[in-house]
Amino acid sequence: MTLLSLSTLPRFFSLHSMARFTFVDVILWALRITVVVIVASGTIATLIKGRYTAAEWLDFVIFGVTIGSIYAQIALGYTMVYGVLRLINFAHGDVMMTGAFSGYFVAAGLQSTGFLNSHPVLAMAAVLAVAMLTSTTIAVLLERIAYRPFRRVGGAAPLICAIGASFFLQQTFRGLFGSSAQGYPDPAWQLSTLHFLGVAIPRVDIIVVIASLCAMFVLHLIIQRTRMGTAMRAVSEDPDAAALMGVDVTKVIVFTFILGGAMAGIAGVSYAMVYKQVNFFMGFTPGIKAFGAAVLGGIGSVPGAMFGGFFLGMVESVGPALFLDGFGIPAPYQLRDAIAYTLLIMVLIFRPHGILGERMKTKRA
Amino acid sequence: MFKRSLSISAIAISASLLLTASVFAAETVGPVTDDIGVIKIPKGAPIQIGGYWVLSGPDTPFGLDEKRGVQVAIKDQGLLLGHPIQLNAEDSLCTPEGGQTAATKLAANPYTVIVIGPSCSSEATPGAPILWKAGIVSIGTSATAPALTAANRKPEYDGFVRTAYNDTDQGREDAKWVHDVLKTTRAVTIHDGSPYTTQLVAEFVKNYQKLGGTILSQEAISPTDVDMHPLLTRIATEKPDVIYAPLFAAATGQILRQAKETQGLENVPSIGNGLLDPSTIKAAGAAVVGYKLTSVDTSAESRGKNYPALVKEYTAMFGEGPVGGFHSIAYDAAVLAFKAIEKAAVVDKNGTIYIGRKALRDAVYTIKFEGMSGPIACDAHGQCGQFKESVYEFTNADPNTFKLGVNPKKIYP
Repeated sequence: MTLLSLSTLPRFFSLHSMARFTFVDVILWALRITVVVIVASGTIATLIKGRYTAAEWLDFVIFGVTIGSIYAQIALGYTMVYGVLRLINFAHGDVMMTGAFSGYFVAAGLQSTGFLNSHPVLAMAAVLAVAMLTSTTIAVLLERIAYRPFRRVGGAAPLICAIGASFFLQQTFRGLFGSSAQGYPDPAWQLSTLHFLGVAIPRVDIIVVIASLCAMFVLHLIIQRTRMGTAMRAVSEDPDAAALMGVDVTKVIVFTFILGGAMAGIAGVSYAMVYKQVNFFMGFTPGIKAFGAAVLGGIGSVPGAMFGGFFLGMVESVGPALFLDGFGIPAPYQLRDAIAYTLLIMVLIFRPHGILGERMKTKRA
Repeated sequence: MFKRSLSISAIAISASLLLTASVFAAETVGPVTDDIGVIKIPKGAPIQIGGYWVLSGPDTPFGLDEKRGVQVAIKDQGLLLGHPIQLNAEDSLCTPEGGQTAATKLAANPYTVIVIGPSCSSEATPGAPILWKAGIVSIGTSATAPALTAANRKPEYDGFVRTAYNDTDQGREDAKWVHDVLKTTRAVTIHDGSPYTTQLVAEFVKNYQKLGGTILSQEAISPTDVDMHPLLTRIATEKPDVIYAPLFAAATGQILRQAKETQGLENVPSIGNGLLDPSTIKAAGAAVVGYKLTSVDTSAESRGKNYPALVKEYTAMFGEGPVGGFHSIAYDAAVLAFKAIEKAAVVDKNGTIYIGRKALRDAVYTIKFEGMSGPIACDAHGQCGQFKESVYEFTNADPNTFKLGVNPKKIYP
């Protein structure tokens, strides 16, 4: 027997598996290698060029973490509903918009009276409470009116219904509040910055990231440590078995929409605090991106949604400068969506269940 | 050489005629025969005029101002050849898809005599050929991209003219002001990929470099982008004197707000174009104060002598002053349409109107008059409006203080 007999080779290199290598596999591997080479060579070329200082790289990271935390908050709503209902709730971005809009009206009112400046904590608590209440109500109504009749319906009908619900919410808010962008109030305390390692970090970015992490932690506790969370996980595994064990599946689904709606409200206020504009269409693009983030992290997985959100935000912010600047590509930031989605596709080619999706499945089994 | 260029021209004209002939067929209705087609408007029926502008979304005031300009012109005109005028306005969203849909809808109406609009070059680029394929002339009211009235424009744009100015002139004059008056030599430009911003930026770059300025980089964004921080951080590394960013309201608001938070750009001026409406204030908030933007001169002293009467009537009709800077151009577009209809129409003894579509198109090119926005006279490629540079600056962040000439106030010339 030789030291390295064929049977001792790793599975991938075995002749048996090599024989099963199809043309599509070859193309996919070539694609993976090409992207990795482009990313690696672009990164090296950019770093050799030395255009950006360490402080500027830190800036990019902070911007990425900020927008990533918003994507993560929205992605959580997608992933929870998918986990429990196996439904892609395309209206979730618009539920976020309803929270942002209602928060805007409270914030604008409090700004006009000076309360937003004089009592920032109380004022923001009021803004958040109204935003969460609105988006939670809308989410629960959506479940009751639009999704419940489709619960036992297979095929694309529930998805089409979700898309219809998305348009309905957009056009309703357009009709009610007009189509112009409204400028979110920016009181003085939101405009200040903190200095860290030579970088001025907007205070509002820090607030948003901390609020996101806190919200995610609370959500994690609810899902992992409460009876309702346990019921949610049971329904997610097998709704019929959960019902036979005495779990009220409808109650669990409504609770899931309550949690998702509340997270959407927080996401809406976070978004509006950072980007200062609200309009009826504002939920669409971040909604799509957050859905991408949820898929990237592993749809149905809460930690996966958080990871996916931060990953997508980071790639959008750092990616164009890091991967493309070295090649001298003009206007690299117009390609940020292309970079983000290319990496998303690449990750899914490597791990079709998303980064954390498969692990969760194994654990369940 | 001359002979060769002549033969090339002959081939081009023949091809164009063949194309036209293949699309249109001569038609005779009543006393009128026309190569493209004839519209018959029975006695008492309205003369239907189409309009397409951005009437929703963040750029609403832009299109709404133009629609209102046309409505004032219709009121001033009263009856046209004894018929009432009916405006069928469509919302074209300032997007190519919106322009395509609106133009298709207007073209599908066999009684659409002429179309006024659109607001955006993104709408006109797909919209104007759809209308002209149906034999309908369209008169642009703020679609300013150079390609739309360029000497080498494609035959499908033959039915498009505009009382709006041309960004070839705007880009040249902007470069002159930014270089000579603002005293800058290092600029960065940002466009959003739309025909308007792309072509205006290209004209600016060409002329700024001619004047001895340096273009450090030409950046691009997507119109729906909200996070400009990474882009602005990248721009800050180039240490520009000025950022030339003729974008729409939402993106402009984000650039202005986030530039103030970007180290190295806090005091670098960002120069925009054309956003003379309250949506700019709403989008940018406090960062709008000090924001300078170039535009065609909309001040009363540079407009036609009847302009104050137009503003007065506009205010009386809509309960507020002009919400944008293009109402006078739109008013002139409507007047051009009315005059062309009067010239091309044949009215029989019963009061029925017959309008040849080609005759109407030809009439548009021959009309000359002193309009509200200045002299109107179309050249061979459909450019009818003139351009006079001006620069405005916003002075207050309260949208309720918007008033052309006050906030924003004119600072040049």
